[in-house]
Amino acid sequence: MMNTIVQAFGLVFQTDVLIAIFASAIYGLVVGSLPGLSATMATALLVPVTFYLSPIAAVATIITASAMAIFSGDIPGCLLRIPGTPASAAYTDEAYAMTRKGQAETALGICLWFSALGGIAGTLSLMVLAPVLAEFALSFSTYENFWLAMLGLMCATLVARSSPIKAIASMLLGLLITCIGIDNPGGVARFTLGSTDLLGGIEPIPALVGVFALAEVMRSITEREPPKLEHRRLGSILKGQWKLTKEYPVQQTRGNIIGIIIGVLPGAGADMAAWVSYAMAKRFSKTPEKFGTGHPEGLIEAGASNNASLASGWVPALLFGIPGDTITAIAIGVLYMKGLNPGPTLFSSQASSMYALYIIFILGNIIMIPLGIVMIRIASRVVSAPRSAVMPVILVFCAVGAFATAGNNLFAVWCVAVFGLVGFFMEKNGYPVAAMVLGIVMGTMVEQSFVTSLIKSDGSILPFFERPVASVLAAMTLAALLWPAFSWGLGKMRGGRAQAA
Amino acid sequence: MLMSDRLTGAVVATLGALSFAYGSQLPPVPGQQVGPSAFPMVIGVGLVLCGALIVLGVGRRLEEVAEADVALHTAPELLKPPPPWKAWLALLPPALVAFYALASEALGFLPTAAIMVATASSAFGARAKLVIPVAIIAPFVVNLIFLKLLRVPLPGGLLPFPW
Repeated sequence: MMNTIVQAFGLVFQTDVLIAIFASAIYGLVVGSLPGLSATMATALLVPVTFYLSPIAAVATIITASAMAIFSGDIPGCLLRIPGTPASAAYTDEAYAMTRKGQAETALGICLWFSALGGIAGTLSLMVLAPVLAEFALSFSTYENFWLAMLGLMCATLVARSSPIKAIASMLLGLLITCIGIDNPGGVARFTLGSTDLLGGIEPIPALVGVFALAEVMRSITEREPPKLEHRRLGSILKGQWKLTKEYPVQQTRGNIIGIIIGVLPGAGADMAAWVSYAMAKRFSKTPEKFGTGHPEGLIEAGASNNASLASGWVPALLFGIPGDTITAIAIGVLYMKGLNPGPTLFSSQASSMYALYIIFILGNIIMIPLGIVMIRIASRVVSAPRSAVMPVILVFCAVGAFATAGNNLFAVWCVAVFGLVGFFMEKNGYPVAAMVLGIVMGTMVEQSFVTSLIKSDGSILPFFERPVASVLAAMTLAALLWPAFSWGLGKMRGGRAQAA
Repeated sequence: MLMSDRLTGAVVATLGALSFAYGSQLPPVPGQQVGPSAFPMVIGVGLVLCGALIVLGVGRRLEEVAEADVALHTAPELLKPPPPWKAWLALLPPALVAFYALASEALGFLPTAAIMVATASSAFGARAKLVIPVAIIAPFVVNLIFLKLLRVPLPGGLLPFPW
């Protein structure tokens, strides 16, 4: 045990890993703070770079960049009322109201301080939960794996802020995309239409880059330029944060816990955590009328929550290869690429790598405070970087990054273009792309566990429900599937009654 | 770019039907009841169902609720729709990526990227004062990162990287 921890420190404190952490921290802070560039996009664009790093350095860049980007998304939200990432959209109003009251430094300080604390709380949950669940997960058969994957996919559709039916359709489209190629139980070429490029199937990374990065560039080109950020003098950023920590311990803890729970749920990520926590803070507040007028309570709870969810999202990702959110969906791709194949055995066979991962999380959240302060100070210069200079560079990165990861294959570049188009049209028409991406990442695994289970059971459906854990997971999945119909019916009944009254 | 739910739902259902039909044609694995055809067929059925429900407009109300929620949390000036011709500009970025796929081998990375950056930057409304330096510097820096830091050679073409 002690030996593994020492080994883990040895893995992290290497020049290349430390440089990777520092560089990706700055990268994450800058990209997150630019309006219209989300944390997911920041991570997706990093993947080609991680391809050429050592496994630990690769994972470190993903962890640090995503944590920094989630925090720095709060900066333009606070100063401009434009959330830098979707994860800060829930409390942008509140933060901006504080800025208008002349408390910009306090609002930014809350975002920074409670983000870092939330991140550390999330990491602790990862450290405690993952090994315990791993023990449990070792006894899972293909039936449990199938239902777990289905539950993950259903959760992803349930939390999408859109029509659940469109979310399910997107998810199925993602699964359909993974059917392309010869990587299937029979080794038969499916949906290749005679093309040799399609034989290998669609790699998740070009698809991710297309959907999350290229589609963002497309959206941004159709929208007007965000207003310029004026330079403002800010007072001490951390002043008063300790007092707030002592004043609102309940909100902070609740934010952390909600964030952790939402993170662990497959498919639900930081944006969801922030929305739920903000609503919780308002509901349980003694002074709900102050919400929206620049009140720190909701900001603390939601700011802690979205960063806490980030680390706990790695629990299902590491254990089952089921992404907790879009960022961990990307991370899973990187893990496979680096030979750290997700699964419960990872914690025994690669224990030192797992400890290294925890250390990186903690380290990342600690350096977030000083780097975040610097970022806030120079924010007015970074945030006003002209879109017309940033977006074209991202465009080049989309093309060349995909090209480099696919072993200098131009087919990947075509994939980026196609998925950019698909992602853009889907998002415009209310089809959540995150659900499709989860389908793409998990498809092969879902099919494998589905077909293997069916072969074992001789084509019978019954054994899917016979094992105790499998039946519980199945019940949860079906409940998730039927929930929208149920809540719709409930709303209809209430609506009917209201009209009758 | 906004299409009616009827159209998108019909597309989804058609894809599902195609997937089912194609899946059912796949050869079985000898000696096994389930093979490569099961999964596409199951997905196909799901897509047809979803497509039908979307065409019927089920779940539309939840979307409206979510949209209203987002609108409530964004600045009013950002919600004003941009002029309609701007929507067509969205096709430019994927077109430029496709251009990279077609031209990078022959032209080389530096010229291809410079053309991409210059076109995109102008489309974003930048003036020549910004377009030209960005188009010269950015491809150079990207090439440097890939070549020196990540050790990935990018296509040389007409204008190979000078060192």
